[in-house]
Amino acid sequence: MTMQYKSQKMAQNFYTFAVVLFLVQVLVGVIGALQFIWPDFFFLKFHIIKTLHVNALVVWLLTGLMGATYYVVPEESETELWSYPLAQFQFWATVITITMVVLGYIWMGFDPQANKTVFGTLILNEGREYIEAPRWADILIVVSVLTFLFNMFMTMWKTKKWTGIQGVLMVGLLFLALMYLPGMFYSKSMVKDQFWWWWVVHLWVEGAWEIIAGALLAFMLMKTIGAKREVLEKWMYIEVGLVMFTGILGTGHHYYWIGTPKYWLWVGGLFSSLEPVPLLLMVWDAFRTTREARNVSNRAGLFLTVAHAIFNFVGAGLWGLIHTLPQVNQWTHGTQITAAHGHLAFYGAYVLLVIAMIYVTLPSIRGIKDYDPSRAYAAFWWMTISMVFITMVLTGAGMVQVYMERLMGLDYEAVKANYNLWFWIFRAIFGAGFLVGVSIFVWDYFTLKEKAPSSA
Amino acid sequence: MDMSNKTARNLFIFGSLIFFAIFLAMTFDTLGKLDQRAPNITQAIDDGKMVWHKYDCVGCHSIFGNGTYFAPDMTKIAARKPHSYLKQFIMDPKGVNSQAVMPKLGITSDEADKLVAFLDWISKVDTNNWPPKPILATAAGVGGKPLTAGQLVYQSQGCSSCHTVNGIGGMSGPDLTKVGSTRDHDWIFGHFKDPQKYVKNSAMPPVTVSDEEIGQLTAYMLTLKEVTK
Repeated sequence: MTMQYKSQKMAQNFYTFAVVLFLVQVLVGVIGALQFIWPDFFFLKFHIIKTLHVNALVVWLLTGLMGATYYVVPEESETELWSYPLAQFQFWATVITITMVVLGYIWMGFDPQANKTVFGTLILNEGREYIEAPRWADILIVVSVLTFLFNMFMTMWKTKKWTGIQGVLMVGLLFLALMYLPGMFYSKSMVKDQFWWWWVVHLWVEGAWEIIAGALLAFMLMKTIGAKREVLEKWMYIEVGLVMFTGILGTGHHYYWIGTPKYWLWVGGLFSSLEPVPLLLMVWDAFRTTREARNVSNRAGLFLTVAHAIFNFVGAGLWGLIHTLPQVNQWTHGTQITAAHGHLAFYGAYVLLVIAMIYVTLPSIRGIKDYDPSRAYAAFWWMTISMVFITMVLTGAGMVQVYMERLMGLDYEAVKANYNLWFWIFRAIFGAGFLVGVSIFVWDYFTLKEKAPSSA
Repeated sequence: MDMSNKTARNLFIFGSLIFFAIFLAMTFDTLGKLDQRAPNITQAIDDGKMVWHKYDCVGCHSIFGNGTYFAPDMTKIAARKPHSYLKQFIMDPKGVNSQAVMPKLGITSDEADKLVAFLDWISKVDTNNWPPKPILATAAGVGGKPLTAGQLVYQSQGCSSCHTVNGIGGMSGPDLTKVGSTRDHDWIFGHFKDPQKYVKNSAMPPVTVSDEEIGQLTAYMLTLKEVTK
């Protein structure tokens, strides 16, 4: 596969920014893991580290998906980007905004009083998990995303190819942009605050992002093994359709205990239990397509694509299913079991998705016909084995928490500091293992080149 | 599958719109019901919420179980700890408890008052009984209330070796968690004195304590109406 349109190389800018932020995310993640053991380790306290950890995650995945879109849309529309300068502007505007937000968080770590209220909103940190970015940054982010969507739409309009893959990709991105808005107004009531907050968080990761994943899965299967577009697109529609049918009302599994009416227990329990179905279908889709493959052009790319499908199902699907019923969730909610699910879900569904897209598209962007995949595999195994163990360890910590704190009534601090200490130690060790994997990946990303001709 | 791509696409688009419409209708219904499930919000409570946001409290804590699990959940904190203690702790955690993990963030006295008012409001929201009361601690009588006379009789007679209340106890005899809503006073009192008269082939021995104590035990049974949460 070679890159056909020059402007597709815009993808690489976004990939680079994403990869650097990924490294930052995991570095601060390891610091946070150590703070579970030594709370005063490092000059920035845990809340700043945690804010950096989850915000870097969200932002690098978003920029990674944007990069992927900059590659996919010209390819699918068979034309250059509508405006390359606009894309460049959007890239740098995004980088500058995100950098300012990050500096704001760090500043707050040195001086908590610096987070002042200006025009009714907090200037450095809104203090709402995942969407901590202050209002001025929200507005810049929306402008950036709208600029991006406009450029993509105009590119499609040039040739009007309207393929299923780019259509679904755009639906996912548009839904993503719209679902950022419910996080942008203030509610006096914490109940309403959390109600709308879940619109953003749940309808992103279990709605818009999964739609994007469905479209990119089809694209990657087509590119790596030349699978037939018609068949891929049909299953893609069915998968993303089921994502929406289960995921929208599945939001109800976040409305059990936040002060909302009891009927959400039924609605949330029923629909969220079905959420793994489309993810399982994606796994089946990946295997069925791969089995029929005769002509694999990018083995590591295909490998990562299938791995993404599997860990999307295991992390987002199964690890969510285990605690989604209200009868269970009543005891597990707000424990480390949630953290375990969060880690494996984001890793499987989105981290592997972006990494797979990078390995599928980067060789053609750099004009590489064949690359040595050994570092890609090494990075994958370091990251995946570490993340599986992090998930096991956090699940164990969560189970201890459920029994000791929720059933027996021991104090939170006693369980955390004494009974769960070994879990924190192992989590930090596997966190360091994950960092090794990320470092190999980042190194490979910056040095990926043509495989040396074999001497044989 | 014999479905055309166009059919699959339309199913995706229109199906999603239908589910979103249902979700919107439920949202509308829910928003209308929220204010009855929580006390009114005063200016101090609203200011307290801004203090919660300003110091990024959710970076370590959670409310309604949502947030970070580095520090305790705050949903019921204001119902469980004295407000004066909370205020003093918020302003200088290590000054109150040298083992405390929380850093001193420079929260002022005024901010602390408002934050406590906010947490008090949170503790009064109807959360469908979340978080559940720990069943073992509740059974052991360390849930904040002294044991009643009837509970003491229940303990001294070893009733829990055969019977279960709120998930704790043996399973040889019937679960008593909801016995108060299925039996009346006379039945329970009489049954304690002579089980076989009320339940044929019952293997339960009569309770051989004074009538006064049987009365206390009966009163306790009558309080068992639903699962303690």
